[in-house]
Amino acid sequence: MRVSVGAAATVLAGVVAVGIAGTAFARSSASPPLLKATVNGTAQTPQGTLPHAFLQLDTWPDSLAGPHGKDGGPHPDWVSYGPSTNLAVPAHSLVTVTIRQYDTGEEITNPFFAAVHGTVDGTMTVDGATVRSADPEHIGHTFTVHGLASNKDPLFVSVPLPAVADDAPVRADGYPAPHVVTFSFVTGGPADYVWQCEFPCGDGTYAKFGGPMSEQTYMSGTLTVTAQA
Amino acid sequence: MSLTEARPADAEPPGEPPTSRPAWRRAPIFPILLIWIVLTALLVAFALVVPARLMGAAASPTMREIETTFTSFSLAAAPVAALVWAILLYSLVAWRYRGGGRPTDPGPPVRGNNRVQVVWVVVSTALCLFLLIWGLIVIQPSTSEASSTQAPLVVDVTGQQWVWNFEYPAAPGAQSDELYLPVNQRVLFRVTSKDVVHSFWITQMGVKVDANPGATTTISVTPDRLGTFDIRCAELCGLYHSYMQTHVHVVRAEEFRSWLATAASQAPTGEVPSPSPSGTATS
Repeated sequence: MRVSVGAAATVLAGVVAVGIAGTAFARSSASPPLLKATVNGTAQTPQGTLPHAFLQLDTWPDSLAGPHGKDGGPHPDWVSYGPSTNLAVPAHSLVTVTIRQYDTGEEITNPFFAAVHGTVDGTMTVDGATVRSADPEHIGHTFTVHGLASNKDPLFVSVPLPAVADDAPVRADGYPAPHVVTFSFVTGGPADYVWQCEFPCGDGTYAKFGGPMSEQTYMSGTLTVTAQA
Repeated sequence: MSLTEARPADAEPPGEPPTSRPAWRRAPIFPILLIWIVLTALLVAFALVVPARLMGAAASPTMREIETTFTSFSLAAAPVAALVWAILLYSLVAWRYRGGGRPTDPGPPVRGNNRVQVVWVVVSTALCLFLLIWGLIVIQPSTSEASSTQAPLVVDVTGQQWVWNFEYPAAPGAQSDELYLPVNQRVLFRVTSKDVVHSFWITQMGVKVDANPGATTTISVTPDRLGTFDIRCAELCGLYHSYMQTHVHVVRAEEFRSWLATAASQAPTGEVPSPSPSGTATS
């Protein structure tokens, strides 16, 4: 009897210890601040008249201009999105995202992601011109939202971000003039999604999807579709 | 009759005259039999309810065949597993050494029993043959599909980290991130990958085939149920493998034709902005 109780108590203590360690580890790094889309008026869409929300993002060739501060945080040389990678947009709305793309690039690994997917009309505008794809030889990054099939409204949106020329002159702020990419998509019901850049340029791990490609506040983040107030 | 000469705790004491109870009503057979009946009942109930519901309502004859096989094999395995567990449980409880310290007596030698061994081998062989024959029959292509004169709808499936893309050769330019299929028409999937090995899995249709880079695998199915079902990647393919999911919409034939025509008309043509030293700057 004493042996059985001792064994059960040891197992229970082990489970508790692992649980405490795991919870502490998961909470040790703070979540990035939430960037909420600004709702301003309504818009006509194929789904009818919907609230119109706006989101502004930037992509930089390093981490010196974004949420990591002027010293760039622990990885100043990592490419990054900003001002945050935790995004919130309203449900059942037209969301217009504007991304200022400051980084250079090269030929994208998978040309599938050089085309626009999931936006209204399947298009985006690049510096004012409406297009359905970007030159796969000159891609800087992508903004790709993954939707889950189970119990959620599917939401797959992928937009290529054209690269800035390698010889583009650098301005006083230390960056070249960016490409301005604008696209819109319609959200479904409240749900949580992830997004990431589908042009791997990380370190050698995970087929170059390691490093900044898989870390929030750099090249991946969350997209929360929130219920409208 | 017990398999060993060890005297169970609740057996007749030595020197006592034998009782009139038949062997199967005496320990250890009777308690093992009771445990076996209870466990078999629980496992049969589990086999009848759980396997068929695990992956949702079947949307093709293939999936129904799979669910029937799953259930039948579970039912066949239930009494076998229950018997093993019943003997194990009874042994752990009834024949546990209760003396202090380590037992000094090594215990009686185990003797064989030809009758029990023959029955065990014959029954096991029969069960295995049943599973083998059933499996060989199920694995054959459906005769209705094999004899169908209607050409299948061909869909090219491309897996890539971490998205599924579908193209319809019958409508050049038509492609989609969600799969659309007409009900009651055979579909032939030609599956490949652009990067690593994925696995194309339509859970409720019993469709599951690897997507290998540089190669094309094929699988066919006839969806016979209207609705929306899940497509997942069933081969660990990288960081966002668990997000590599999409939907398949099974619609009526006329709806499918209308959708296909729309998809083909929206084929991307793409004006490509060349990189310029001075992009449009906004503050």
